[in-house]
Amino acid sequence: MANESTRSKLAARMTHPVSRPLAIVYRWVDERMGINDLLYKTLYEAVPRRGAWAYTLGSATLIIIALQIVTGMFLLWSYVPSTTEAWESLNFLERHNEFGAIVRGMHLWGAYVLLLVIGLHMVRTFVSGSYKKPRELNWITGVILFLLVLGLGITGAMLPWDQAAYWTTIVTTHVLSYFPGLGHWLQEIWRGGNQVGPVTLTRTFAIHIWLLPALLVPLIVVHLYLLRRHGEHGAWINYRGAREEPDGEAAAPLVHAEPPYPAVPSDPGYAVPDDLDEFFPSQVGKDSIVSFALVLLIFVMAVVVGSPLEAPANPATLTYVPTPEWFFLPLDQLLVQFPQAWMIAVGTFAIPGLASTILILVPFLDRSPDREPWKRPQLMVPALFTLLFLIFEALLAVNRLFNL
Amino acid sequence: MTRRRFMLLATNVAGAGITLLIAAPIVGEVLQPIFARRRHPWVRVGDISQVPVGIPTAYVVPMPTTQAWPVPPVSRIVYVVKLNVGNQIQVISLSNVCTHMQCDVHWDVNLQQFLCPCHGGFYSITGINIGGPPPKPLFRYRHKLIGPTLYVTDQLTEA
Repeated sequence: MANESTRSKLAARMTHPVSRPLAIVYRWVDERMGINDLLYKTLYEAVPRRGAWAYTLGSATLIIIALQIVTGMFLLWSYVPSTTEAWESLNFLERHNEFGAIVRGMHLWGAYVLLLVIGLHMVRTFVSGSYKKPRELNWITGVILFLLVLGLGITGAMLPWDQAAYWTTIVTTHVLSYFPGLGHWLQEIWRGGNQVGPVTLTRTFAIHIWLLPALLVPLIVVHLYLLRRHGEHGAWINYRGAREEPDGEAAAPLVHAEPPYPAVPSDPGYAVPDDLDEFFPSQVGKDSIVSFALVLLIFVMAVVVGSPLEAPANPATLTYVPTPEWFFLPLDQLLVQFPQAWMIAVGTFAIPGLASTILILVPFLDRSPDREPWKRPQLMVPALFTLLFLIFEALLAVNRLFNL
Repeated sequence: MTRRRFMLLATNVAGAGITLLIAAPIVGEVLQPIFARRRHPWVRVGDISQVPVGIPTAYVVPMPTTQAWPVPPVSRIVYVVKLNVGNQIQVISLSNVCTHMQCDVHWDVNLQQFLCPCHGGFYSITGINIGGPPPKPLFRYRHKLIGPTLYVTDQLTEA
């Protein structure tokens, strides 16, 4: 439990630069809200010293999602979700509001970097076997969050109502029509009719700015709650030899820290790491450095490259070649490889559905106690081949669409 | 029934009631397009007397949007194809929407086929799917000729 001297030190640190008047306000609020206890709980957790840089990917994901929410909020100051005005409103933004164009660029590049960072976060968790008991639900909520972000990516790509957005809308909503049995209705529900039109855009807009975020944010809360409940460890590198008595001894050097986790020890060997550090400032500092570097990258890309706006949507084209966003290239290639009749449903639903299901079930497919990647070849080898297959598919699609 | 049991029952029933009252109109709103009545007004394509036999000719047609509030018509392409069938000229009005993922197909003069750039679908001059992923032939617009002038309506039929 929080010892009194640490807590007053914490209060002093929080109010230090602004001195006495603020300290009085701080104490008044703390008396009523218990800010100190909350800060203590959130900041002074015992975390593993080893692998700390690899653990920065999760917080980077969180920071970029926050960036997406904030830039998205302020894109709404300029964007009109209407087939006749969406393109015009963004064209006006790009031409007459330089900073607004940067906000839009950051939303686009934020999405690209977010997908990469989530991917790396997932690879790290997978390789280190951190999804094992008691952290199965951390993994499952994480996979669902990843799928939601993919959904946000594709719906976001539909909103500018330029050529790229229009044809992304056409293909994405038409993919639904191949869903066995219900497909036709699913397509009409999303499109608001059998044609892509004004109602399609308002519905896609609503899905992008409210429906998916409303699912995303609470699930992030659950994901972080589970993280705190089970601790920021679970990888083999945190453990050099099993411990008989997990709590207490290992945490003893950290007088300021909360006792180590997890709340549900799987076995003594993986209960607590043998080398601990304080979350604040050791881990928070590393997290901040990585997140700053990524936000800087997003900012630079937004300023230097920006966000493209193609010609306005034109359903009557004889020359335009629609191309998917890069993160959907492997799925686009499956559309070519599974042609005609019932095969189309295999490429659009059976294979991606099966892949998502296997991904969600990873903690139950790998029930061995081992966490070292070289002791889990039955998972590592298929995963490596899947990753190479995705890259191969993307390259085939690039070759087909761009003749590179 | 004890007071406690009644309150438990009330919580469940009232909770279900609240959910149902909120969900019912929302489900109705979302599903409405499935049950909407469709209008199919006739649209003028143009004078097709100059269209050569055996060469699909693209007409850009302003199609009214019937599934939303009033907005300006959206351009769509109608391929008018004249064929010589047993000494009679037959006219078909092909949709240029690929039946695979609904990208726009175009007539490729060198291949003498309709080609879809998205995933490499091919169609014959009559719109029959002859290669690549398309599962069906190109749809045909319901059409009528008044003198030399062709009119279509977006009631699409399979060949």
